[in-house]
Amino acid sequence: MSPARKNNKSEAGMRVDIAGLKLKNPVITASGTFGYGQEYADYIDLNLLGGISVKGLSLKPRAGNPPPRIMETTGGMLNSVGLQNVGVDAFITEKLPFLRKFDVAVIANIYGESYADYASVAAKLDGVPGVHALEVNVSCPNVKKGGLSFGADPKAAAEVTRRVKAQTTLPLIIKLTPNVTDISLIARAVEQAGADAVSLINTLAGMSVDLKTRTPHLKNITGGLSGPAIKPVALKMVWQVAQKVKIPVIGMGGIMTAEDALEFMVAGARAVQVGTASFINPCAATEIIDGMRNYMKQNSIKKITDIVGTLKV
Amino acid sequence: MKDIYVGLVTGNDNLKSNYFLMKVLLPAGFGDPQPGQFVMVRIVGLKDPFLSRPLSIYSFSRGKAGCIIELLYRVAGRGTGIMAGLIEGSEVEVLGPLGQSYAVDPQKKDIVFIAGGIGVAPLSLLAGYLCQTVCRDASSMTFYLGAQTADEIVGLELLRRYCYRVIVCTDDGSMGEKGQVTGIFKKDMKKFSPADTALYACGPKPMLKALAKMTDGRYMCQVSLEERMACGVGACAGCVTAIKEPAGTTAYKRVCADGPVFDLEKVIWE
Repeated sequence: MSPARKNNKSEAGMRVDIAGLKLKNPVITASGTFGYGQEYADYIDLNLLGGISVKGLSLKPRAGNPPPRIMETTGGMLNSVGLQNVGVDAFITEKLPFLRKFDVAVIANIYGESYADYASVAAKLDGVPGVHALEVNVSCPNVKKGGLSFGADPKAAAEVTRRVKAQTTLPLIIKLTPNVTDISLIARAVEQAGADAVSLINTLAGMSVDLKTRTPHLKNITGGLSGPAIKPVALKMVWQVAQKVKIPVIGMGGIMTAEDALEFMVAGARAVQVGTASFINPCAATEIIDGMRNYMKQNSIKKITDIVGTLKV
Repeated sequence: MKDIYVGLVTGNDNLKSNYFLMKVLLPAGFGDPQPGQFVMVRIVGLKDPFLSRPLSIYSFSRGKAGCIIELLYRVAGRGTGIMAGLIEGSEVEVLGPLGQSYAVDPQKKDIVFIAGGIGVAPLSLLAGYLCQTVCRDASSMTFYLGAQTADEIVGLELLRRYCYRVIVCTDDGSMGEKGQVTGIFKKDMKKFSPADTALYACGPKPMLKALAKMTDGRYMCQVSLEERMACGVGACAGCVTAIKEPAGTTAYKRVCADGPVFDLEKVIWE
């Protein structure tokens, strides 16, 4: 038995099941912030993570948006990367073999420019060893085709869900955008269309201006805001969605500490994703896991899932 | 497993105008940097701005107490502005050394460095490496250092130790020759045969672009680029630059992980 597996056994209280996706703890690194895992493998033991959601994969490789792509703002950062990725085929042949060496749940985050694209990417990943779930990005604010246009319309989001569901046997997570009037409408729509879980929130659309030159800081003009600045918005949306759906909710948005992560769980998230925090500390995710463990000890909580949705109102 | 090191600031001096030199004492486990590599530096506990700042390594030494890295930096915004206020005894988190280093070709007879402003930082480490580790003769190394004004010319003392010829120029003529560094180099260019010379450059984009135009792929020329970064390790793809690929296609390469050093002829300028 590998050391990681032994560790697992002693940590039954940290385990979380998301519609058949078994996580040794509720902490997943968020798509787009952790590359394909390998980028951070020198700094953090990937075996300790609950899961890794890899950089969004498209049918064909994508070059992404022209630079500059990032700008730090107060308490957050804007990015307009635009889903630069190697494409699903290269992911399977070049990136996945590395990830298979670790005892960690791999969530393939997928993206398409059309319904057919989403279905094709899902089909390519079905039955591939080492892929444990799909997370469907219908919420990228930085691409012209697809992305947000699917995620902002309940009908389109449901259609993507159905098309992907038809092509996969994996647990299906739909990643939702906060850039809508009522996120719970979209959540309900994808639940009814067969989603096994929802994850939220993706970045909030935003922009930043250089007053000296009167130009936008990002070449793409607008970008997606992440980081601690968005946490209250994310928390509210997770709470709101958790009231409205029966499927598990994965919460994210500005989680920097174990306390942040636990707040999301209290608000109704069954698992959490850590994103921007990894940029300032590659070990952020494992430190958050340690902090959760301490919280459980201090508060005599036997199972982490016992705190899910325990918000007193 | 690599660590994020907590370093102790042992000095942080204002050299000139907005140029600072920070000395950081790091644990012995910090790896030896290769010239051209950088570190991500973050002030411990700072919440705003919260991202680390990428800084070139200007010098490195190992002693009994650990390693000392020197970071020569220019205050460009709020992050580096706060950094400039760090006093001795402050703590910084250091991730690195990161990125690809300059390639060294021992066959080249002449080494020419072309730096603009703060671009002197990584090239000074390279000149020191060539002088002390590779034991290149100082007479084979020429350093062109330019800036807008004398206020932005820093690091001369070390350069003069490493390189036989150090040519200084400023746009306003307040120090050295008057003119832009690329223009001054261009006048001398015929002294350096493309086959026997390696060029290394670092500086603002217009300078590198001008250099690309005048050398036109005839020289082996490597440049290190500067970009805003978030992760520093290649995960976020925030710091990309357009690079020509062997197949003739263009790809966005990550300055942090695929660079910061690139072959000048492969860089695509907008």
